[in-house]
Amino acid sequence: MQNFDWNALGVVFALLGAVLAALMGGIGSAIGVGLTGQAAAGVVTEDPSQFGKVLILQLLPGTQGIYGLLIGFVTLTQIGVLGGTAPDTLSKGLLYLAACLPMAIVGMVSAKWQAKAAVSSISLVAKRPDQFGKSMIFPAMVETYAVLALLISILSITSIANI
Amino acid sequence: MAVVEMKRIHVYALKNNRKKILEMLQRRAVVEVDTPEEASLGEAKGPFSKTDTASARLTFEKNAQLVGSAVETLDSYAPPQKSMLAMLEGRTGVSARQVQQTAEAAPEVTKIAANIVALGKRVNDQQAEIARLEAQLEALKPWMNLDVSMRTIGTNSTSVFIGTFPEELTAGEIKTRLAAALPEISGVEAEVVSTQPQQTCAFVVCLGREGAKVESALRGMGFTYPAAPSKKPPVQRAEDLRARIAAAQADIESAGKEIASYAGRRQDLLFTSDYYTMRASKYQVLGDLWQSPHVFYLTGYVTAGAAPALQRELEEKYQAFVEVETPAEGEDLPIKLQNGFFSAPVEGVIEGYSLPGKREVDPSKVMCVFYYVLFGMMLSDAAYGFLIALGMGIVLLKFKNIEEGLRKTLRMFFFCGLSTMFWGVLFGSYFGDAVDVIARTFFGYGADMPSLTPPLWFAPLDQPMRLMLFSFLLGIIHLFAGLAMQIYQLCRRGKYLDALYDSGFWYMLVGGLIIALVSLDMFQEMMGLSIAIPPVVTNIALAFAAIGAVGIVATSGRESRGVKRFLKGLYGLYGVSSWLSDILSYSRLLALGLATGVIAQVFNMLGTMAGSGPVGVVLFVLVFVIGHVLNLLINLLGAYVHTNRLQYVEFFGKFYEGGGRKFEPFAAKTKYFKITEE
Repeated sequence: MQNFDWNALGVVFALLGAVLAALMGGIGSAIGVGLTGQAAAGVVTEDPSQFGKVLILQLLPGTQGIYGLLIGFVTLTQIGVLGGTAPDTLSKGLLYLAACLPMAIVGMVSAKWQAKAAVSSISLVAKRPDQFGKSMIFPAMVETYAVLALLISILSITSIANI
Repeated sequence: MAVVEMKRIHVYALKNNRKKILEMLQRRAVVEVDTPEEASLGEAKGPFSKTDTASARLTFEKNAQLVGSAVETLDSYAPPQKSMLAMLEGRTGVSARQVQQTAEAAPEVTKIAANIVALGKRVNDQQAEIARLEAQLEALKPWMNLDVSMRTIGTNSTSVFIGTFPEELTAGEIKTRLAAALPEISGVEAEVVSTQPQQTCAFVVCLGREGAKVESALRGMGFTYPAAPSKKPPVQRAEDLRARIAAAQADIESAGKEIASYAGRRQDLLFTSDYYTMRASKYQVLGDLWQSPHVFYLTGYVTAGAAPALQRELEEKYQAFVEVETPAEGEDLPIKLQNGFFSAPVEGVIEGYSLPGKREVDPSKVMCVFYYVLFGMMLSDAAYGFLIALGMGIVLLKFKNIEEGLRKTLRMFFFCGLSTMFWGVLFGSYFGDAVDVIARTFFGYGADMPSLTPPLWFAPLDQPMRLMLFSFLLGIIHLFAGLAMQIYQLCRRGKYLDALYDSGFWYMLVGGLIIALVSLDMFQEMMGLSIAIPPVVTNIALAFAAIGAVGIVATSGRESRGVKRFLKGLYGLYGVSSWLSDILSYSRLLALGLATGVIAQVFNMLGTMAGSGPVGVVLFVLVFVIGHVLNLLINLLGAYVHTNRLQYVEFFGKFYEGGGRKFEPFAAKTKYFKITEE
């Protein structure tokens, strides 16, 4: 073990970050879109003409998965997997991991809560289809925090190479 | 910024012109009938009274419903040839004369509709009957081997028991158990008709005089008689049931054929349904009118532009007495928006929030510019934008008869598409980096050669900070435009001081702080900026910010007195935190813009996985088409939702409350045809 090169683990942790971002964002969105899908299907059984509207509401919690994919991909292009150079030290690898965490954690949690807001909005649309414009805003409010997390993650990832 | 001016119109006319006048008003669709309540008139109503038309209206509504459900039934038997684009084709235009013909034919068509509905009901009944018969048939199945009636109870000297045991038994087992229970009785015969898991159907016979004892012994073994024993032997009974099912099926078929034979009348049915809807709404208005024995009085709101022509027509053609006046200050005027080619499309977005309330302006003209710009930035791909604009353009050109609301939405996306194209060119994104990827993979373009589609401005993925700053800048412009709207609104009402207090000071505070922030070295270094701001400017900016802050503290609580006022003022200043979050919120422009580009890149890369051979080409085309369609749809949704959010929450939050009531003119609210003027 004395000759173990700890710095070789850098790229491992960096990849772990990329994977976590895609993984947790994806899990959150899958849960979210699943929840909203159930509610949306219920509305369509009663009133098929609302399909277009509830579909939009159903898809709202789907973006976290995409953001996670985005962070995962951008990280891969930085750490020598799809381009860029592999981190040469352990600390750099850990930096990439840390940079991915906002998107991974906030993405997963916000997708779930956004889905709950979207489910309520779907029942709002079921009762008052004319209020679609407003109903869209409530879930979109939750997404703000996923966007902010995405922002911090992406700014960190693109700057780590220059540290 | 056009909230259409409304006038109040009073029409007094002779009753013998009533029908014609109402029909004319319904066709024109420019008057919203708004009759004063009885209580507010008091003694002034004189000989006028309202007529109760509810029952007549109900009849028409019921007829409309009947015809509607007839069409539904008809469509399930003779599906109309509807193309995917049917919703774009709009309602069929018909002349007033055709409407007259529809009116004359209505009773006959209603009879057809009633017939179709009755046939539909017959089909449903027969289907229920078939289900019932099939259940019976199912219940008979275990008994098919029985060749006597299931109700057989015996002959003169024997007793017969036909029924089931709740377990699997053989004839021998039954007999053994009976013998064990009744050792004194002999000559019991048992026969098993069928066995299934948990059930044995059996036939037991014994001497007539021992019947009672055998029965109680059987019951002790869990024997039960079947729930619905058939009189005839099961085989015959099953045949009867099958015959009845076949008859019911034949009946369904003939009813279905008869329904389908009306397919040619579909158009008539649709028109008649609309005709009844029209009549119903006319009767509703009729019930709202004040009428004396010879005269009726109608009042309501009319758009100012349509008023003179309407007045002239009513006076000249129908000898009515018409007054048009400016509504009183306190009246709850209905709101109608009117805008030009470029700004009208966003009316729907405004309506989705709320129409302008009292004394508010129509924000369409200002909003549309931001809407298109923000939308374009979030999608920001030249090829996607081109596809959207092209699709919308073709639809708009090809289908001239599209309903107005849908046309506006399509036009909105057309402009959004153009804007997307614009930003895509600036950021150098054409299906992401598809051009480079194709050139490198299939045409051997060197990987280290410069991009074939260089951005006109800069590539967001290379300089995210720069794009973020630009997003914030756009956000500040957007928010300041909202504040300007507030100032405009307040000034229009003559509240100049309020404009200064609620908007002016915020300009100073936020503007000053931003300039001061930008001049900080730390900030410049962080953002990679190099703007030399002379210290004088910084100081002036800080002074402005201070004036703004003091002004806000001093005036935010101006409705209160004393300490409360000061505290409210401080709370007002705390609003600066909401400015911070509002501005940060525009970072979604960067996030969504990057999302489009990066996902497009992911798909392009996936497509090249199989190299440049023939398989590679096929894979690339497949991945390219599916991937980009998916990406376009997802990001279109994202851009739409988040553009709306920025408008509703950030922009409207600065000046707009809404709460207006939509102008709902008395019109032919038809679903299938549109009356064109004679």
